[in-house]
Amino acid sequence: MTAAIQFVIDVLSLGGAYALMALGLVIVYGILRLVNFAYGELIMAAGYTLYLVSASPLPWLVMAVLAVGAAVVTGIATDYVAFRPVRAKSVTAVLITSFAFSTLLQNAAQLLISPRPRSIPLPEVFSDTVTLFGVVTPARNLITIAAAAVLLSLFTLAMRRTVLGIAMRAAATHFTMARMLGVPANLVISTAFAISGLLAGTVALLWLGRIGTVVPRVGLEPLLIAFIATVIGGMRSLEGAVLGGFLLAFIDTALNYSLPQDLLKFRDAFTFSLVILILLWRPAGLVRGPATGQRT
Amino acid sequence: MALAVEALEVRYGGIRAVRGVDIEVGDGEVVALLGANGAGKSSTLLAIAGAIRPYAGRVRLDGRDVTGSIPERMVRAGVAMVPETRDVFPDLTVEENLRLGAYVRRRDRADVEADRAAMFALFPRLAERAEQTAGTLSGGEQQMLVIARAMMSRPRLLLLDEPSLGLAPTIVEQIFAMIARLAATGLSILLVEQNVGKALAVADRAYVMRLGRIAAAGPARELAAAADLKEHYLGG
Amino acid sequence: MSARDLLTLLLLAGSVALLAVAAEFLEVRLFVRIVTNLFIMLVLVLGLQVFMGNSGILSFAHVGFMGVGAYTTAVLTIPVRMKGMALPDLYPLVAGLELSPLAGILIGGLVAALVAAVIAYPLMRLSDAAAVITLFALLVVLHTIMLHWSAVTNGPRTLFGLPRATDLRLAAVAAALAVALALLFKESRIGLLLRSSRDDEVAAAALGARVPVLRWQAFVLAAFMAGIGGALWAHFITSFSPKAFYLKESFVILAMLVIGGPGTVTGAVAGTYIVTLAFESLRALEAYLNRAQIFAEQVVGLTEVVLALAMIGVLVLRPGGLVATREIGTWLLRRKPDKGDPP
Repeated sequence: MTAAIQFVIDVLSLGGAYALMALGLVIVYGILRLVNFAYGELIMAAGYTLYLVSASPLPWLVMAVLAVGAAVVTGIATDYVAFRPVRAKSVTAVLITSFAFSTLLQNAAQLLISPRPRSIPLPEVFSDTVTLFGVVTPARNLITIAAAAVLLSLFTLAMRRTVLGIAMRAAATHFTMARMLGVPANLVISTAFAISGLLAGTVALLWLGRIGTVVPRVGLEPLLIAFIATVIGGMRSLEGAVLGGFLLAFIDTALNYSLPQDLLKFRDAFTFSLVILILLWRPAGLVRGPATGQRT
Repeated sequence: MALAVEALEVRYGGIRAVRGVDIEVGDGEVVALLGANGAGKSSTLLAIAGAIRPYAGRVRLDGRDVTGSIPERMVRAGVAMVPETRDVFPDLTVEENLRLGAYVRRRDRADVEADRAAMFALFPRLAERAEQTAGTLSGGEQQMLVIARAMMSRPRLLLLDEPSLGLAPTIVEQIFAMIARLAATGLSILLVEQNVGKALAVADRAYVMRLGRIAAAGPARELAAAADLKEHYLGG
Repeated sequence: MSARDLLTLLLLAGSVALLAVAAEFLEVRLFVRIVTNLFIMLVLVLGLQVFMGNSGILSFAHVGFMGVGAYTTAVLTIPVRMKGMALPDLYPLVAGLELSPLAGILIGGLVAALVAAVIAYPLMRLSDAAAVITLFALLVVLHTIMLHWSAVTNGPRTLFGLPRATDLRLAAVAAALAVALALLFKESRIGLLLRSSRDDEVAAAALGARVPVLRWQAFVLAAFMAGIGGALWAHFITSFSPKAFYLKESFVILAMLVIGGPGTVTGAVAGTYIVTLAFESLRALEAYLNRAQIFAEQVVGLTEVVLALAMIGVLVLRPGGLVATREIGTWLLRRKPDKGDPP
C-alpha cells in the first residue's frame, strides 16, 4: 500500500512538472508552428536570475517572482529576436533561428557568468520531508503537485473565460481568420511567448529546486521532456500536452521502479524511440488538435 | 460606408490573379461581384480585407487610403470579411465564436450582449446551439454563424464570399433572406456569388469579373435582364 | 554535367587544392592542423547540404551519423594490443580485428549509411515540425546509445588509441570528392526532383516524384558522408567521447551551412571557409584573453555567441545564405549564352 502511495506521489509530482514543461512548449507551437528550441533556456534564465539575486536581502518569494519574470522576458525576447524577423520566411528558418538563439543564450551564460554550476537560493521547506499516509516524501514533491494543479486550473480558466484566451485558441486553428475578426496577431504571439515563459519560470523553481544549482546546459533535459510529452500528447492540443506530461511521468516512474540498472541507462533511447514511432503512426501526435491550421 | 477600389492588382508569385480592378460600393448599397471560378473575385475580397497584400492599386474607405492595411486594422475601420472557406473555429462553442467576433469592441459589454441577443433573434438555430462547439454544426448553420460572427464587430461594410456555396436550396433561400434583412438595416455589402440569379435579386448593382478584370458592370436589374450574361461572362 | 557545373567543380575543388598546397608549403603546424580540420568539416557540411539543401528539411541526426562513423572505425582500427585497455569489454568477434585506417574510414561511412538506410526509410514521409522532431529524437537516441554502450564506445569516457591516419592530403582528397559528390547529386535526376519537392511537395508528387524515396536516398548519401567525415575526424583527433557528436557540433556544422547557403554547394563550401576562419580567430582571441587573465573567470562561449548572432543575422537579412541560388560556375558564366545545357 505505501509503495502504491509512493508511486502515485512520484507520478503526480513528476507529471506536474512535465505537464507544465510540455504546456509551455505547446502553447507556442500550437499557435505559431514553432518548435522553440530555445525553450529550455527560459528555465536557465530563471535559474540564473535566482543565482544573481541570491546575495540580496530579498525574501525568497520575491526572488522567485523575479526569476519567473526573467523567464517571461526571455520568452518575449525569443519572439522579437528569433521569431518575428523570420516568421514570414520559412518553417526551417524559424527552427534554425530558435536553435541559434538557444545556443546564444547558453553561451552568453557561460561567457558572462560561468560554465560551472552556480548554487541557487531555496526556501527551507524545499528540503523538508512530510509523512503522508505513512509515506515519507519530500515536501518539494507536494509543492510541485500543488503548484501544477493551481497553474493548470488558472491556465484553463484563462483560456476559457477571457476574450484573449478564446482568441488564442482561435488563432491556434486559423490565425488569419482570427485576424480578420480584429484579433491582433502581435498581441497573440507575444502573449503565447509570455505564457511559455511564465510556465517555464515556474517549472524552473520546482525543477532546479531538486538539484539546487544551475548550469548553462540545464535547459536541455526539460526541453527533451517537453518534446516527448507533447509528441505523446499531441503537438497541437493543450489538453494533450498536459496528458502527455503525466503519461510520460508514469512511463518514466514505472521504468525506474522496474528496469534493471544497466537497462535504465538506455531509458532515453527507449522514450525517444517511442517518440519516433508515435510520430510515424500519427504525425500530429496522439491527441488530435484543432482541425486545420496554418502559419501566419 | 463608401468603398472605392482603384486599379487593384493581386499576384501570387508570377500569377496575376487580379489585373486592375475598379469597384465602388456606396453607403447602404448592396453590390454583387459575379464571375466564374478563378476570375479573381475571392482574391479581390481578400485584398480589400487586408488578408493579402495587393501588388498595385488603391483601396479607399470614405476617401481614406487603407491599401495594404493589416486585417485587424480593417476590422477596426468597419470592414468585416466572411471568407468562402466558412472558417468557424471548430473547437470553440457558438457562443465563443460570437464573442470573438466582437473582439474589437469587447470592452463594450452591454452592447455586445445586446448584439448577441439580436443575432440569436436573427438566427434562432444558433441560439439553440449556443453551447455546442462550432465543428458540430451543419454547413448551413456554420454559414449563419460566420455571418453572425462578422456582424458582431458592427461593421459598416460586409464582405461576403460565396455564402451559398455547397448549401441545400432551402438553406440558400434562408441565407439570402438574411442578407436582404441585413441590407435593410443600411449595411453596405459587397457580395461575391456564383448563384447569379439570387445575387442579382438582392443586389442594387453588380460587377462581372473575367480573368482578373471587370468585364461588365451596371444596375442589377439591367444585368439580370441581359440574357447572354451567363454564357458570355460566367463561362456557364 | 554541364559546363557551368564543371566550372563550379573545378573552382571549388581547386580552392581545396590551393589551400592544401599552401598549408603544405607553409609548414606551420597550427595552419596544417586548421586546414586539415577544415577539410573534414567540409565533408560533414557538404553531407548535410546533400540532405538539407535538396530536401529543405532540417536534420539534427547528421552529427549522430558522424559519431557512428567515428566509433565504427575506432572499433575496427584501434591496434589489438591497445584494445585491452581502450575497450576492455569489446566483443571477441571484433576485438581481434585490426584493419587499416583507410578501410576503417570507408567502412565507417558504409555503416553510417546502412544505419541511416534502415532507420530513416519510414521517417521520410514526415514533413515540417514532425520531421524535425523525429530527426532530433534520432540524434538523442544515437547519442544515448553512444553514451551507454560501453563495450563498443567506452561509455561517456574518452575513447583513445586510434591510429593517427588523417593527414592534410587524405583530408584534401576527401573534401574534393565530397564537393564532386554533392554537385553530382544536386544535378542528378534525384536531386532535381527533390529540389522541386522542396518548393512544392504536392506538385512534385503530382509529377510522379515519390518524395519519401527521394528524401531517403539523399538522407542515406548524407549519412555516408557524415560517417566518412566522422571517421576522418576520429583518425585526426585520435581520442574523443560521445559529447563530440551532439548539439554543440550540430550547431557549428549548421552554422557553416546556413551562413554559406544550404541551397548551393558553393554556399556550403564558402560557409565552411568563412566560419572556420571566424571560429579559429575567435578561439585564438578567447585563448589570448585567458592567457592574459584579463578577466577573473575563463572566457568561454564567446565564439558561439558571435556565431549564433551571425547565423540569426544571415537568416534575417539573407534567408538563403550568402550564396543562395546560383553556383559559382553559373554565376561566372551568367552573361554568356548557355549552349548545350540540359533543361
